[in-house]
Amino acid sequence: MNMNQNFLKFVHAIVGEENATDDRAICASYSRDQHWHFVPAMNPAYVVRPANKEEVRKVLMLANEGKIPVIPYSTGINVRGLTIPVHEGSILLDLSRMNRIVEINPEMKTATVEPGVTFGMLLEKTRKYQLRPAFPDAPLTVSVLANYYLRGIYQTAAADGHDHTLSYEMVLPNGETIKTGSRSLSGMPYFRYGVGPDFTGVFCAHPGTCGVVTELTAKLYRLYDNRNVYFIGFDDVSTPTKFIYNLMHDELAASIRLVDNQSWLKGICGTFDYRYEELPKFVLCMLVEGVDGIFEAKDKLVGDYIKESGGKVLEFPEEFKRTFEEESLGGAEKSCMVFGLRGNYHCIGLYGPLTLAAKYYELHEKTALEVGIPTDHVHFYLDPIYSFHGQLCYVELDIFYDGSDLRFGEKLRNYNEKQFKRLLDLGIYGWFRPYAGIIEPTVARIGYLAEVWKKFLKVLDPNAIMNRGKLF
Amino acid sequence: MELEREEILSAIYHCVKCKLCSISSFHPNEEWLPLCPSGQFYGYQAFYAPGRLEIFREILEGELSEPTEGLLKAVYACTLCGACYEKCKQITSVGISLPELFEKQREELVKKGWALDAHKNIAEKIKETRNAYGEKHKYKYEAKSVYGAEVLYYIGCTARYRVPEIADAMLEIFDKLGIKYQVMEDEWCCGSVLLRTGRVEDAKALMAHNVEEIKNSGAKTVVFTCPGCLMTFKKNYPDMAVELVHSTQFLTRLGDMKVKKLGMEVAYHDPCHLGRDLGIYEEPRALLKEVADVKELKREREQAWCCGSGGGVKSAYDDFALWSAGERIKEAKEVGAEAIVSACPFCKRNLREAGEKEEMKVFDVVELVNRSLEG
Ligand SMILES: Cc1cc2nc3c(=O)[nH]c(=O)nc-3n(C[C@H](O)[C@H](O)[C@H](O)COP(=O)(O)OP(=O)(O)OC[C@H]3O[C@@H](n4cnc5c(N)ncnc54)[C@H](O)[C@@H]3O)c2cc1C
Ligand code: SF4
Ligand code: SF4
Repeated sequence: MNMNQNFLKFVHAIVGEENATDDRAICASYSRDQHWHFVPAMNPAYVVRPANKEEVRKVLMLANEGKIPVIPYSTGINVRGLTIPVHEGSILLDLSRMNRIVEINPEMKTATVEPGVTFGMLLEKTRKYQLRPAFPDAPLTVSVLANYYLRGIYQTAAADGHDHTLSYEMVLPNGETIKTGSRSLSGMPYFRYGVGPDFTGVFCAHPGTCGVVTELTAKLYRLYDNRNVYFIGFDDVSTPTKFIYNLMHDELAASIRLVDNQSWLKGICGTFDYRYEELPKFVLCMLVEGVDGIFEAKDKLVGDYIKESGGKVLEFPEEFKRTFEEESLGGAEKSCMVFGLRGNYHCIGLYGPLTLAAKYYELHEKTALEVGIPTDHVHFYLDPIYSFHGQLCYVELDIFYDGSDLRFGEKLRNYNEKQFKRLLDLGIYGWFRPYAGIIEPTVARIGYLAEVWKKFLKVLDPNAIMNRGKLF
Repeated sequence: MELEREEILSAIYHCVKCKLCSISSFHPNEEWLPLCPSGQFYGYQAFYAPGRLEIFREILEGELSEPTEGLLKAVYACTLCGACYEKCKQITSVGISLPELFEKQREELVKKGWALDAHKNIAEKIKETRNAYGEKHKYKYEAKSVYGAEVLYYIGCTARYRVPEIADAMLEIFDKLGIKYQVMEDEWCCGSVLLRTGRVEDAKALMAHNVEEIKNSGAKTVVFTCPGCLMTFKKNYPDMAVELVHSTQFLTRLGDMKVKKLGMEVAYHDPCHLGRDLGIYEEPRALLKEVADVKELKREREQAWCCGSGGGVKSAYDDFALWSAGERIKEAKEVGAEAIVSACPFCKRNLREAGEKEEMKVFDVVELVNRSLEG
């Protein structure tokens, strides 16, 4: 009997019989995600649910010995097929039982969490200290650890900036544990650059292809009582750019999102039921916050910039404002309403300068039209990010479509193929995150760095068991 | 059938795996409150709505061809409570309701002969005795049934054989209020348990019998204390040109019943079939407020936590059913209630069993109304 045949027996001894299975139906429940038009359904061979680091370590060593692919899974809501197996015989390592909030440290403004802790779970505990995590616009059912480790995007409160991870610990296939930042030197996991190079950053943004992160310490941010919300309408993407620049340059607004009037705006306002089509085509949603004195001063300056913005202040019902506040500073719940538009959503998410915003949108419309995607399926989202060096923005080129329409899937694949290349030609800072499909044309352009990157992964994971097929 | 298959697949494809259906609305209270009992109890994705849908897809696409233990458990250890759908429909506007899909999934399994022994046994018992508990004796009631009365009380198997205090209370209420009523001489199981466990064919004879009896009774209004029976009559029975109402609806519309307050602090538990399926939230609360001080639970109305006994779970997975009820009792304790009150014999039975250890009293609304009626 070889290792693969005995795997389940060994793994039962580690995690207990009820926490590991090769039952086909249980495995089938992990076989597909929202990205299935690009990443086809496939069942893992095993699902293993460890309870702690030691169990993770033992399972990884076992898998490494048998060269069995391992897919770390925290909550599986990554919208890029990142936890869908590529290879037969894979182990899906469901980490959702590891859901302890290890520490909330209000003095240090940090939280340390395990993989199964979601944004909702964390905020429930931090808000009593008037603190919150930085939120992605992903449903608050997603894992904090997985999102930060993947280096998500945090447009709900752009003021938080981009890097929220301070340190973490990661178990490697050989059973060794790596601790990053100050965590490697002391019991104080609160500083990112503890030992020279930014190792915290180096391993980040890998789709489970290095090891398994079992604990992560992240920054928390202050919740302010003073808040004001504005919705300002514009007819095109370029008119508001000067206004956005001013807001970012003077660091005035906590949340700034430029969306079209037919997609994300519905989630931001929390209802499908409004005369959105009568609004200007683009709406800038903005939230100002701060302590007494500073808040009023910021709000006044914002008011002055609005006057010269060329936009139209929109009078929305109070509950829209409340929903926007809740979604921005309390975790996204209604954002998933975009799926209710037509049933599924496709996007290319990228980082680039504000100066190219209108060009990205133009290209989006052009390529969509070429592959036969109707204009009313084409949507847009822009979010500037503090501290705004390089006029950094997150831009999302969205298409909302009927997920059950297989032919539309074909169009989207054509769209991707053309658009990845065109965007790289036009110039971007980077993609939302690396994933199969987008990584290939990208790696072809980064020269020797690609070689170094691959070798680096080989050192960490010589048998290539970690989420094999999701990167290179 | 082909179209139906396509419709089902289309609904499955519209699930985007956001898992928002696993928690109650987070805003504005910002509390993390689980909503799906089976997912919370069993943990694997297979026990949450999105995972069940994937299993259904693989069944329809012929990928799953064996009734493995996991398959049976994932499909049948769901209370069909519908909490997931209440959340999902707010966000993703998926067309077909999730419990409806899960019932279809069970129908597919039964067609393949992949059923649970516990459910087969119930079907056998019903065949033999016309009630879900296989009881051979008749429910004995004190009150007077008047043949031909306009009001007919359909008692249901659970109130007849497991929680007769509910049926007794309802009958006493009729008497105290001087309402003429009849009960069916030969009441058969409504078929709910068969339909919910995928045994559609087995339910047909029961339905035909009850329809005939009710038609012949001359009743104009049929009153139910069991929301499961009421839902089945409304959803699965042909139109009998009679009014079908829940006890709480029937009693609230009577107006002032001259009840007195009992001096109890109680929490109201929304039964899934009564609330989510039939949209009856106000009447039980209105009645209860007349007789007790009512404390609202954190998860209530559309987002109520299920007691754990529906969908054939109580008979097949009692440990899970009791755990789910235990969670509800904890919630009632948290809000300082001395008793938990429901409006469903199924809920009462399961909550009572779980409540024994927790020292929590459990009632049906009609029991408290009966106690408080000056008779
Ligand atoms: C409507 C919607 C909007 C979204 N908007 C945003 C957004 O604004 N910003 C944003 O960042 N994301 C967004 N997302 C994407 C996604 O949900 C998140 O990025 C999410 O945090 C990642 O998914 P997850 O937490 O469920 O992790 P998983 O799906 O479990 O995992 C994601 C990847 O990380 C790996 N991984 C998981 N856990 C570990 C671990 N412990 N150690 C090592 N590797 C691990 C996995 O192998 C996989 O490759 C959105 C999603 C939806 C549905
Ligand atoms: S809320 Fe709806 S779409 Fe989201 S996972 Fe649940 S069933 Fe699927
Ligand atoms: S019906 Fe109830 S138990 Fe079944 S999946 Fe939905 S929420 Fe969970």
